[in-house]
Amino acid sequence: MKLEAFTNTIKKKNMIVSKTIIFLLLALVFVACKPEMLVTPSESTKNLSGNWQIIKATRNGTDLTTRFDFSKFRIHFTDSSYTIDSLVPFIVNHSGRWSFDDPQYPFTLTFQATDSSAKTSPLQYPVTGGQRNVIITFSPGCSLNTYQYTLQKAN
Amino acid sequence: MQDQPIQHTPKNKRKITAALIWKVLGGLLLLIIVSCSITIDSVVQPASITAGSTLPVTLNVTITTNQTQTSNFMVAVLVPKVWKVAQNGTVTFTSDISSGDQGMSVISAGTPAPQGGGMDWPTLLATKIGNGGNLLPDYEWVAFYSNASYSVAANATIHATVSIKIKTSADNLMFKLGYCVANSTDGLSSSDRYATAFPGCFQSVGTGDLIDFCNPQISTVDPRTSLDNDIITVTFDGGVQSTKLDNASQIYLCVSGITDKGDSLSACIQTDATKMTSLGLNKWQKDIWPRKLFNLTDNQHLTGLKYFFTDAAGGNKVGYAGGSTPFMYTFKCQ
Repeated sequence: MKLEAFTNTIKKKNMIVSKTIIFLLLALVFVACKPEMLVTPSESTKNLSGNWQIIKATRNGTDLTTRFDFSKFRIHFTDSSYTIDSLVPFIVNHSGRWSFDDPQYPFTLTFQATDSSAKTSPLQYPVTGGQRNVIITFSPGCSLNTYQYTLQKAN
Repeated sequence: MQDQPIQHTPKNKRKITAALIWKVLGGLLLLIIVSCSITIDSVVQPASITAGSTLPVTLNVTITTNQTQTSNFMVAVLVPKVWKVAQNGTVTFTSDISSGDQGMSVISAGTPAPQGGGMDWPTLLATKIGNGGNLLPDYEWVAFYSNASYSVAANATIHATVSIKIKTSADNLMFKLGYCVANSTDGLSSSDRYATAFPGCFQSVGTGDLIDFCNPQISTVDPRTSLDNDIITVTFDGGVQSTKLDNASQIYLCVSGITDKGDSLSACIQTDATKMTSLGLNKWQKDIWPRKLFNLTDNQHLTGLKYFFTDAAGGNKVGYAGGSTPFMYTFKCQ
C-alpha cells in the first residue's frame, strides 16, 4: 500500500513537471511567433545640393579637359535652384531652377534659367572612385556639336 | 675543308615531290582566285558643278567570274558628309544579265558587311580603303545594295554601267570623290573581289568660304560648323608652306569677330587668351570660346571671324595662303 502511494506521488510530480514544461514551451512558441513587419526598401531621393566642378569635358568625343580652362567653373545646387560661377559653354548661361524627371530614378536633369526656356539634358549618375559623378550632355551651339561634362563635388 | 657532296635520299625525294605538288596546287588556286575579278574601267564625272545642282556620275564596270554565284551588287561613294547622300543620292545600273534600270538602296548603318569582321559597310570601307586623300574629317562612305540579287554563271564576263545621281548642297567645296564596287558575298575580302576609283579633286562651286578637302590647309577650324557659343579649335600648320612664322618660338591668334550688326570686335593682343599651344612639327592649336574671348553681351552674336597668326611681338602676321588677307570663318549650322 505504501509502495502504491509512493508510486502515485511520483506520477503526480512527473505530471506536474510535464505540464509545466509543455506550458513553458507553448508560451515560448506564442512569444516566438510574433509577426514580423516587412518593410520594402525604398530608393533614396537623389541629392545634388552643393558645389560641383567639371572634371571632364568632351566635344564631339574629343577630350577638351586639359585644352580649355574649365577649372574655375562652379555650379551650386540647392534644393530647387542653382547658381553658376565662371561660366563656360554650358546648357544654360544664367542661374535659375533645376529639377529631375524622377527624384528617385532620374534620367534627365532640367535647367530653367531665369528669362529663358527650360533645357533638359540626359543624366548619368555613376559613382566612380567612391565619388558621385553627374554626367550631362548638351549642345550650347550647333545641335550637331555635342558636349559631355562630368561634374563632381568640389571640395 | 672539303665540300661534302649532297646526298639525295629517298626521303628528300619525297619532300621535293610534295613541295612541287603544293606549288602546282598553289599556282592553280591562285589562278582560280585571280580569274574572279571586278574592275572599274572608267569614271565619267564632271570636273565641277554649281553647288546645289545634281552631280551625275557614271561608272563602267567589268566583272569576270570563275564560278556560279548569287549576290547583290554593291556600289559605294566617298562624299562630303554635308551632302547627306543617304537621303539625297540615287544609284541605278544596267548590265548584260539584267533588263532595264536596276534599283539600288542605301545599306543602313550597322548592317554588317560580308566577311567584314563585324564592321558595317561605311566602317569597313573607311578602314580598308581609306579617305581617298581628303584632308578634312567631314567625309563618309555611303554604300548601296542592288534591290535584287543576281545569279552569275561560271567563267562569264559581265559589263555593268552604274549611274549615280547626287543632289549636292549649296556649300562651296573641293573634294576627292571616291567609288567602290563589290558584291554581297565576297565583300572586301581580297583586293580582286572589289574595285575602287578616285578620279581626283572635284569642285562644287557655291558661295561662302571654300571648304577645301583636297589641298593641305595652313589653318583649319574644328568643328567645321559651329556657333559663337561653341568651343572652336583653330589650328595653324606651318609645315604646309614657308611663312614669316617659320622661326617663331611662340604663335598667337589675332582675331576679329564680326557681329550680326556688322560691328568688328578685335582680340589681337599677344596674351595667354590668344597664345597657341605647340603640337610639334610647327603645328599649333588654340581652343577658344568666342563669346568669352570677345566678352559678348546676351544680345550680341557673331556671324564670323577674320583671323591671322602672329609671333610674340605681333610684327609678323600670316593670313590666308600665307599672305596678308585674313582667314575667314563663318558661324553656321548644317
